[in-house]
Amino acid sequence: MRTTVPVAIAFLSGLLLVTAFFFRADTFVGGLSQELTVWLTIVGGFTLLLGVVSIVRVNWTAIQRRKEGWGYKILTILAVFAMAIPSVLSPDWSPLFGRAEGSVYDWLFQNLQMPMMATMFATLAFYIASAAYRAFRARSAEATILLITATLVMLWRVPMGEYILDQLPGDIPAFLNTYVMGGFNMAVQRGIIIGAALGAASMSLRIILGIERTYMGKG
Amino acid sequence: MTKPVPNSSRFVSLGLFTLLVSVPQTLLAQVAEGSAFRVDRINALVLVLVFSTAVLLYTKWAKAGKPLYLRKIPGLDAVEEAVGRATEMGRPVLFVPGIAELDEIETIAGISILGRVAKIVAQYDTPLTVPVRYPLVLAAGQEVVEQAYIEAGKRDSYDKDTVKYVAGEQFAFTANVNGYMMRERPATNIYMGAFFAESLLLAETGNAAGSIQIAGTARPEQLPFFIAACDYTLMGEELYAASAYLSHEPIMTGGLKGQDFVKVLIVLCIIIGAALVSFGYGEWFINLFEAV
Amino acid sequence: MEQMDRRWIYLMVAIAVIIPFIVPAELPISITPEAQAVFDSVEAIPDGSNVFVVFDYYPSTIAECEPMTTTALRHFFRKNCNVITLSNIPLGGPSMAETVTRRVAEEYGKVYGEDYVNLGYKYGYVAVMTGMGSSIESIFPTDNSGTPLSELPLMDSVKNYDDIAFIFEVADNATADYWVSIVNAQYGVPMICGTTAVGAPKYYAFVASGQFLGLLGGMKGAAEYEQLVGMPDEAVRGMGAQSLVHLLIIALVALGNIGYFIIRYKQRRERI
Repeated sequence: MRTTVPVAIAFLSGLLLVTAFFFRADTFVGGLSQELTVWLTIVGGFTLLLGVVSIVRVNWTAIQRRKEGWGYKILTILAVFAMAIPSVLSPDWSPLFGRAEGSVYDWLFQNLQMPMMATMFATLAFYIASAAYRAFRARSAEATILLITATLVMLWRVPMGEYILDQLPGDIPAFLNTYVMGGFNMAVQRGIIIGAALGAASMSLRIILGIERTYMGKG
Repeated sequence: MTKPVPNSSRFVSLGLFTLLVSVPQTLLAQVAEGSAFRVDRINALVLVLVFSTAVLLYTKWAKAGKPLYLRKIPGLDAVEEAVGRATEMGRPVLFVPGIAELDEIETIAGISILGRVAKIVAQYDTPLTVPVRYPLVLAAGQEVVEQAYIEAGKRDSYDKDTVKYVAGEQFAFTANVNGYMMRERPATNIYMGAFFAESLLLAETGNAAGSIQIAGTARPEQLPFFIAACDYTLMGEELYAASAYLSHEPIMTGGLKGQDFVKVLIVLCIIIGAALVSFGYGEWFINLFEAV
Repeated sequence: MEQMDRRWIYLMVAIAVIIPFIVPAELPISITPEAQAVFDSVEAIPDGSNVFVVFDYYPSTIAECEPMTTTALRHFFRKNCNVITLSNIPLGGPSMAETVTRRVAEEYGKVYGEDYVNLGYKYGYVAVMTGMGSSIESIFPTDNSGTPLSELPLMDSVKNYDDIAFIFEVADNATADYWVSIVNAQYGVPMICGTTAVGAPKYYAFVASGQFLGLLGGMKGAAEYEQLVGMPDEAVRGMGAQSLVHLLIIALVALGNIGYFIIRYKQRRERI
């Protein structure tokens, strides 16, 4: 029963959504599939509560057991509620509530979350430099070709590098754009995209037909 | 550049063929005007039917005991070894099932692999940590890991907080996982699912923490980062094949073979299409694949 | 030389990023055919058309994406196009669209509701993109600040994709794929894409197939577009830092390889 019902639901939902692709939106099947999408949104909304419960429980346990860094866990819990509570309260009560400009949520978002997100993304520059230094080795003929190509593309993508390339014989930037990016790169990207799409379709089919049940902890 | 002009005999046969293809297409399009059924999507329906038939047939053959060959995927063969290493070192295994919602098929693939990994981890009695970004993934992850512990006969070892919700924001999630890696120094990090800009942030931190790393994603733009910073990387469709591969069940490999069959068909279509277009006869062929 | 403490690398990257901002240098920026195609396709739109500028990026990629949206808005306002902005990113998307568009609109004396509108964000991008094909108002009954669309004069003439001449999509994620497969393929609205440098290689295939009329890749793409529009700004300024970091990475890779070959040479000699 614990396996049959979810597999049956997955089969019926999958079948409906696939069938709906072949019917117009204003038909019964089309309408039903749109209804199902709305249900998904509602279910997704309710599961947010699960997330809050999990984050509080994990951090609260760490605080109670005085685990290393428990002070930061207090900050985590405070931050969750500091962002969430004022944003769900009605702005009619106070301009600090809601999510409009001037609200607590907006202030925290603009002045804390946005710079922190940008900072995390910016650290990629450091990590890319370190990963490239460590991993790019001319260990074989293939790796050497990759290394030379990557170097040329990196030079081509910045003005100083392009100046260097211009001093060399032949139109290297045009070659890189036409053959490397528009040729080899595009062919490889297409290959991976087509392969991955087929893999996704095959996996979906296995799920709909109940062959693949590992995502439910079965099989 | 102008198209080459075909010679007369070719022209006649081509004309007949075009007529055979275009007339039914035009009729179908006219019927489609007032029909509830999207006749203009019939090409997609044909592909769905061919694909489903291939998968079902190969699954049936696999069930009947016909041996089906699967090539080695070193990244997946290394999973058990990597978990063993964590056990020997007495350090945890970190599993990240991507950062996308459960409606992404990559996430489901990641959760399926999590089930396999959790079973191995449970058998070895190694600690496992699974940080997730979405509550629905949390619910699915908890179910899968609990079931794996039960199947391994280690129900008592299961901790509900093995799978934990960390943060809904991409970089807050990344910061948390990176912090965990630097503090706990997991022996093995497994990343399987949909990854975006955080791929290198995670993999590079894991590398700095000295962990063995196995990654898998279908996002082509993130593959170079995983390849540079991880020990093993599953590329594209290998991620979707992973669950079937790890299961060692013939019924699951049948699906993979069906997929390979369709891939061969697509490659043939690409070759035929490229040849026809190159010689100026490809218009009708392209129309067969028109997406609407 | 083969194994350097990564903290030295981080320090060198930091210096390489900071120096060009202290000592700025004017660098010639060449134009790729993809960026030229973006400029040409916007130029080809009749003046006064209705266009979408889509802010599908998170605040984390502002450095690469915002110069694209800013320049696009300048380009469109210069052509007196009516701009409708929206976002499929809940976290920061609508507010970035609001801030950037207001700032650029002020430069051109454009009026909200008449010359431009910010639709904001709605959950479920597939449903949003599909739904706007029949009615924009059914998906966005109000604009980002809650004003009903019926009260905004610009929206009187904009009902669905039939009234949209062009889509300028700036994305740091896979939403661009959906704009192609749903809006471009099914409704035939011409579009271009601006994306991060990491995301750009994937989209060359879409340019080749004609689904994207042009492509802007990363800060370099944005700098090219700024140059083409004749308004060099943030992206052009950022080229100095990006140039130095690229050269530094190349130098580090070379250094690592020299170390690798020296060790390999020594190991071979020891074996002999």
